[in-house]
Amino acid sequence: MKIHSVSTRYSWSFVCMTSLRDRAQLMTNTRCFGRNFVTASSSLPPVQLPAQREVHFWYVLPDEVKSTNLLNQYLEILSPCEKEEIFRIREEQLKKSALLARALVRTTLARYQTKCQIDPKSFKFKKNNYGKPEVDWQSADDWSLPPLHFNISHTSSLIACGVAVGSPIGIDVEEKQRRLKNDILAFAQRFFSPHEIETLTHIADPELRLQEFIKLWTLKEAYVKALGKGFSASPFKTFTVRLRDHMKGDIHALRHVIYKAPDITVEPSVDLKNPSSNWEFVLLELAGSHYAAVCIEQDSIDPGSKSGNGSMPINLTLRKTIPFVEDECISANDSAVVIGGLARLAVCD
Amino acid sequence: MASVSATSFSFQPFLKLSTRTSQACYRTSVCVGWSRKSFTSLRSSRFRICAVQAQPETVQKVCDIVRKQLALPPESELTPDTKFSALGADSLDTVEIVMGLEEEFGITVEEDGSQNISTVQEAADLIEKLVQDKSAAS
Repeated sequence: MKIHSVSTRYSWSFVCMTSLRDRAQLMTNTRCFGRNFVTASSSLPPVQLPAQREVHFWYVLPDEVKSTNLLNQYLEILSPCEKEEIFRIREEQLKKSALLARALVRTTLARYQTKCQIDPKSFKFKKNNYGKPEVDWQSADDWSLPPLHFNISHTSSLIACGVAVGSPIGIDVEEKQRRLKNDILAFAQRFFSPHEIETLTHIADPELRLQEFIKLWTLKEAYVKALGKGFSASPFKTFTVRLRDHMKGDIHALRHVIYKAPDITVEPSVDLKNPSSNWEFVLLELAGSHYAAVCIEQDSIDPGSKSGNGSMPINLTLRKTIPFVEDECISANDSAVVIGGLARLAVCD
Repeated sequence: MASVSATSFSFQPFLKLSTRTSQACYRTSVCVGWSRKSFTSLRSSRFRICAVQAQPETVQKVCDIVRKQLALPPESELTPDTKFSALGADSLDTVEIVMGLEEEFGITVEEDGSQNISTVQEAADLIEKLVQDKSAAS
């Protein structure tokens, strides 16, 4: 189902406001009082917050965004710092990609309104101690949103933003056909854990080995991003991701199998002080061209998780978007498949 | 910021702001306690980097490796201060660049090293230091 929306030129009247904070305040108050200002954010259809054990996965394909007018609209919702960073990038495609990434984050978060419409421009971001961007909720005056967690990832051909409530989230996307400049095994020897090296070594076919490598890479990246520490604070050698064979061809049977041991697990190689059993993964194949990994923290009070046999599947809502233009809900079909992890592609609201 | 010194490789996944001016923007937007601590770390890590200036040949070799890894067209501009992320390097590219540097210079870069490698110059400075440490140890 596609939802089309059209933004108008009225948003430009706010461009000359002196301070961002004043503008955010005015916008918020304006809409709360029900005055009929048409702004950029009014063309973002509101979306219900993700529930527990639910992940919203939004993505944009840069090739689908061609209009200069639209790109300018995206530029308008960025902070001065973000704009400056984008202007420093010389190459056009990279500039566009960076712009789309920021616009995707801001517009996605702005959809989760409760009482008042949120101007995507009014979000402030900060970084945790390791550099992971987070929303600075302290600067959100009138909003009554629960703390949303988000994470983005981009390749040249796909930019994604994952959203969760009540759990940190990490995502990573990679082109399936991405080539390494180095030899895969040499790379794995340097950076991966012994078990992962062994797994890759046992795959003889170079194409299959590359695909398995990409899957492992995205899962490991998603994990360290969910941890909030990134690569340098969680060296890839210090933990092992195990990816067991997913039940192929049994997608329908999965609906009836509620309690199941997850087929993607992570465990520390050495450090036993940080138990990793709380993290859950989903691995997707998107549009036949990309692998996407999602990592969230398992809800410790989820009764299903105490059974020892497994837990409830994660509901993943997948949406392809062109912010301000259209959103398309992607359901399980040839263009989106869950290939790992205990998850199902949920129907959008 | 503390984050600058801790994340040697992981700037791309976190869409890190790359220039000094941009870092200044971030400094003003975070809460007071956090920024005070991180500001000190930024100063000291930057000082450490500046204390070892790389040879021009080292810088050139790093440029070559970066160009090759990112498949940059020959006419594209690559200066010592160009940020890898601004060249379109993602996390996998960055790690591959590090691997290429390790092989070229015979060094090992620890992931949890305190240096921040986000430009050619920073990579070259770190390499110079590691090469010096290595020859001092042997």
